[in-house]
Amino acid sequence: MSGQGQVSFRNIVKMHGEFAALKGVNFDIKPGEFFALLGPSGSGKSTTLRILAGLDAPTAGRVLIDDKDVTSTDARDRDIAMVFQSYALYPHMTVAENIAFPLEMAKLPKAEIAPAVKDAARKVKIDHLLDRKPGQLSGGQQQRCALARAIVRKARLFLLDEPLSNLDAKLRLETRAELKKLQRSLGVTAVYVTHDQEEAMTLADRMAVFMSGEIQQVGTPAEVFARPNSIDIAGFIGNPPMNLVPARYVDGDVIIAGHRLKTTTTTAGERDVVAGLRPGALRMTEGGLGARVDLIEDLGDTAALDLDCAGTMIRMRVADGNIPGEGDTISITARPQDIHLFDPATRMRL
Amino acid sequence: MATTAVTSAEIASEAPRSDFGRVLAQRERRFAAALLAPAFLALLATTTFPLLFLVYTSAFRMDLAMPFTNGFVGFENYQVLLSDERFWTSLLVSLVYTGSTVALQVIIGLALALLVMDMKRGQGWFRVIAILPVVLSPAVVGMIWRTFMLAPEFGIVDFLAINAGLGSKNWLGDPTLAMVSVIAIHTWQWTPFAFMVLLASLASLPEDIYEAARLDRASAWQRFRRITLPLLRPAIVMVIIMRTMVALTAFAAIFTVTAGGPGTATEILNLYAYRKSFTELSIGYGSALAVALLIVTIIISGILFAMRRAK
Repeated sequence: MSGQGQVSFRNIVKMHGEFAALKGVNFDIKPGEFFALLGPSGSGKSTTLRILAGLDAPTAGRVLIDDKDVTSTDARDRDIAMVFQSYALYPHMTVAENIAFPLEMAKLPKAEIAPAVKDAARKVKIDHLLDRKPGQLSGGQQQRCALARAIVRKARLFLLDEPLSNLDAKLRLETRAELKKLQRSLGVTAVYVTHDQEEAMTLADRMAVFMSGEIQQVGTPAEVFARPNSIDIAGFIGNPPMNLVPARYVDGDVIIAGHRLKTTTTTAGERDVVAGLRPGALRMTEGGLGARVDLIEDLGDTAALDLDCAGTMIRMRVADGNIPGEGDTISITARPQDIHLFDPATRMRL
Repeated sequence: MATTAVTSAEIASEAPRSDFGRVLAQRERRFAAALLAPAFLALLATTTFPLLFLVYTSAFRMDLAMPFTNGFVGFENYQVLLSDERFWTSLLVSLVYTGSTVALQVIIGLALALLVMDMKRGQGWFRVIAILPVVLSPAVVGMIWRTFMLAPEFGIVDFLAINAGLGSKNWLGDPTLAMVSVIAIHTWQWTPFAFMVLLASLASLPEDIYEAARLDRASAWQRFRRITLPLLRPAIVMVIIMRTMVALTAFAAIFTVTAGGPGTATEILNLYAYRKSFTELSIGYGSALAVALLIVTIIISGILFAMRRAK
């Protein structure tokens, strides 16, 4: 490791003409952390990564790496390795030459390059493909080649721009697990851009959730899942997503579809709110909120139910062996701590 | 039992169908040949026949000034040619002319293409202006340069030379300067072609690999040497091949500017063959010179194509 890999963004703004791609972004990444930038497309996460890499310059604000201001430092001099979404392999070079390229640019002696290339290729299991050109590799192999090129140099920061998005579903799951192990074993700081909340949840030590050019929440995946900061994050994190239903708050209770539920949230008086209920947090019980089962999606070990609660659609996940029939009327409830309340005007958590 | 019956029935029905297919394919081929025939004949009449006739003529003494000496001479023209000093000089002039114009076109064209790639505005205009020389007839280009650009005292180039303190030069009268001038004229006219091809090729290179190279700490020069050049290689080789073939057989521009002079200073092989045939009216020997040029062209393009394949 040639550095620590500590990153700070201070009020980073990026304008594309009149359009603000980033509206003042702040976050800190600790050394050795696996940090995910999560958000829907167009939310500014890739722009953030490019600014961190030095490929784009911010319109305003400062980027610090290891407490040094690198805002105007060229990408070449930042000691950062990156895996591109497109992999960006050099098409005219073999896999071995691709992996060796960063070392040659660092003017490493030839005798040291060959073993380093072999070592990096072995770590990502492509040491049998060293003589091939990128055009002769499958998508997964190209992706590994890009990974090997990034890890061979032992940079202080390791950036990944949606590296799994071009792989098929099965390969994506395998590679995801390997990526995490690889990062752990290298002990390097990794910044990972993704629009897939499941990837971020499973890989990241901490994550920043982007919404239209701003970070709405930074925290561990568990924190963000348990206490989403806003309606947008609540709807974005979790699969199936959280139910967000209009409700009314009255003295510590919330009224959903005419039924009163206890909450732990305390706010003044009586007001309209948006109640968030995770599909998995709903329970079937006697004397709860009445609901008719519209549709059942059997997922094997669990099932997703579409419920009609007096005109309000609610999704619920139930464990196998406990599934009602379609058209049945059931009664559901949620524990007070599982009910999230949001302000419909500001869209923030109450 | 049942399966055998089905199989034999299948075979029975298959046989006539494939026969029918063969007849159809044959008819299709014949129709295609009929469609191709006019073009093929026209091509034969306008390229292959004159070429063969040229080779045939080169085996004769055919002197329009002294028709009484005409007759079959076999390889005599070629024997004369091998000991003809003017032939060797003109071959050397051809090679110098071709080598320097092609090298200049590729280098200047590539430099321009790299420069224009980074232009944010005005790229379209630059392309339009750059392509203008290519669409002019080489004869017109030659006239423009002889009068407008290189004329002593009044030509733009000479005017600039005087103002730069170099003094008025005899651009087309001095043997070395005349050679430099015709090389400059050809380069001026045809560099835009190399520029356009290389620019198109450059524009098709993916941007992300340059970003990857920057993060891999490659300097601008290293990015050019290690990424741009190897990826442009096919286009560069293609430009070299095409321009070499044209430069070897260049004619009109030199003819209108210097007509091969002063003396034989700018007399490329093509021009020598022309002068022999149509000025000195020695058609047979001129044909032999033209065949020699053909052989040189074939050898050089053969070498270039081999280099292209070799990689």
